[in-house]
Amino acid sequence: MYAYDQFDRTFLAERVAEFREQTRRFLAGELSEDEFRPLRLRNGLYIQTHAPMLRVAIPYGLLATRQLRMLAHIARRFDRGYGHFSTRQNIQYNWPKLAEVPDILEALASVEMHAIQTSGNCIRNVTADHLAGVAADELEDPRPWCELIRQWSTLHPEFYYLPRKFKIAVTGASTDRAASEVHDVGVHLVRGPAGEVGFEILAGGGLGRMPVIGKRIRAWLPKPELLGYLEAILRVYNRHGRRDNIHKARIKVLVKALGVEEFTRQVEAEYAASAAWAPRLEEAQIARMQACFAPPAYLSLPDLAAPLGVSAALLAWYRHNSRAHKIAGYRVVFVSLKKHGEAPGDMSAEQMDALAELADRYSFGQVRVTHDQNLVLADVAQHDLAALHAALEPLGLATPNIGTLTDMICCPGLDFCSLANAGSIDIAKQIHERFNDFDYLYDLGEIQVKMSGCMNACGHHHVGHIGILGVDKHGEEWYQITLGGSASGRVALGEVIGPSVPKLQVAATLARILAVYVERREDAAESFLETVRRIGVGPFKERVYATDTEAA
Amino acid sequence: MRLILRRPEPAADVWRYPGEAGSGPQVLTLAELTAGAAAAGALGVLIGPTDDVRLLAPYLGRLTLVVVQFEKLGDGRGYSQAQVLRQQVGYRGELRASGALKRDHMYLLARCGFDAFELDPSEDGQGAWAQLERFSVAYQASSGTLVHPHLKGAALGS
Repeated sequence: MYAYDQFDRTFLAERVAEFREQTRRFLAGELSEDEFRPLRLRNGLYIQTHAPMLRVAIPYGLLATRQLRMLAHIARRFDRGYGHFSTRQNIQYNWPKLAEVPDILEALASVEMHAIQTSGNCIRNVTADHLAGVAADELEDPRPWCELIRQWSTLHPEFYYLPRKFKIAVTGASTDRAASEVHDVGVHLVRGPAGEVGFEILAGGGLGRMPVIGKRIRAWLPKPELLGYLEAILRVYNRHGRRDNIHKARIKVLVKALGVEEFTRQVEAEYAASAAWAPRLEEAQIARMQACFAPPAYLSLPDLAAPLGVSAALLAWYRHNSRAHKIAGYRVVFVSLKKHGEAPGDMSAEQMDALAELADRYSFGQVRVTHDQNLVLADVAQHDLAALHAALEPLGLATPNIGTLTDMICCPGLDFCSLANAGSIDIAKQIHERFNDFDYLYDLGEIQVKMSGCMNACGHHHVGHIGILGVDKHGEEWYQITLGGSASGRVALGEVIGPSVPKLQVAATLARILAVYVERREDAAESFLETVRRIGVGPFKERVYATDTEAA
Repeated sequence: MRLILRRPEPAADVWRYPGEAGSGPQVLTLAELTAGAAAAGALGVLIGPTDDVRLLAPYLGRLTLVVVQFEKLGDGRGYSQAQVLRQQVGYRGELRASGALKRDHMYLLARCGFDAFELDPSEDGQGAWAQLERFSVAYQASSGTLVHPHLKGAALGS
């Protein structure tokens, strides 16, 4: 992975010193709340329901074990012993003390981490495919490009006060595992007309109140031009994006208002006008960055058919929580943070320390964070799988539910977030309780449930096969259900099935929906999403709102 | 009296902004300038957040002051206006950032090419100037003249 040099360390130390001074001025009354807010936000610090919330960047979801150990240390020393992994591949601490945040940032800097631009109206943490470098369907590793974007976007002088937040995702595989089509900008590594690899650029995607799938504005961009082209997009957005209404300030609104042709024309015109100044990457720079992400020292191993060991628990875990690796003899292992009864995405300091130990032993000292709030050990030798499973199980990190109904995305919701209309964690627990029969979960097959506690859609509910959105109805928590969304392959936004349901009825509503699927699927091979696409939401709607309650 | 932070030291402003009485040279709005309101001699112009600074290109020879207004905290349009003025239009005269600005904004403003600052009146000028030394390194090229950070050439072209 990318290792900081003296330059990066100097920058980060100066940044921490700046925020320490700003915090001091705020606490001394020299900066008002309004003046301090944009400064603290750009250092990851929110003021939440109970306390400040600190969002720490995990660039493109990649962590070295010494970094994971530091996250554990921070959880213990400055928080309440745990952290929450988010859909942006970041980690959030819910109970830090404002006066201690500069110390936390200093501790993070000691392991080459930071919280820069994890909130505020600026370019946010760049995200990527969590299977980068190990997936067989990958054209090229997106992470070198992510790191280049991270550096370029860090304190970019021109784009630090944008109309609204700005999220970039990069993928290099034929399957989009980074939800790149619902980002402000999606960057895809693709082959160009002459067969050379470059980028396809999408703009104007996003979720929130107005979900939109990104539009292609450049079919192919040569590699050296990536950052210059991004600057052209951002300059058009910075100049013309709306600033009069926070709900209409994302780039998707500008793209829609201008139309994609006119938006593209303006970007291309800006790019042409700025040609002399636009950053242009040299081949040697690209090669140096790519070398940082060279594959680990894989052993030459035979492919094994199944894990050595035959317990049912091990086989279920193997089947559901591991995936094919492009190198013979290896598997990708998903570490489930969706243990039934726990808040999805939460991890204790003890679990972090223990997982760091296991990653050192079994996966070249690296861990990845997925955008659906699990962790990944990407490079596990197949002959180590049984031992790894035996170690993960007592830690509560081997729940064999990856890709199933209970592997749901869940925002912090009303329990922590000051924006939320309704709780999310309670609903997750309700679903965990109701659907605790793993044979039933396995029979249902792949179902992505995504849940947000408000319209801001941190839980990506629009692109869940089943989406759950918390709404406030006269001070009560209600939930709107959508069906048929998808974040990858044929990207689609879910369709609302009807009026929202009361809090205690959410799992029962899901049970009705699933019953329709089981009855109507053509065969066991037809997935939930395929059935919804084939028969439409009508039959589901009918069942959910039937007055006969026996079906529930 | 308006105090302007600039090198070599802060100084009282000699210009009159639009609507101000007095004897100094008059700063025009962009609309006034393009409508032909300029008198002979040095030109000063006030740029609002939605103004297109490329319209200043024909006046480059006589233009000695451009004031970019930051009407609200967090409005970042002026940063792009400055970059375009310095990089594409080629303006080399005084580029002044004025309005809802604290010392915390000065470093990035300077990196976009601003070389004079009219901050929120509550700011102490001398303390603010030190902000330009806040960072000794930067990941991006700069169109500024006040800050010359050592760039990360390994990462980005410069």
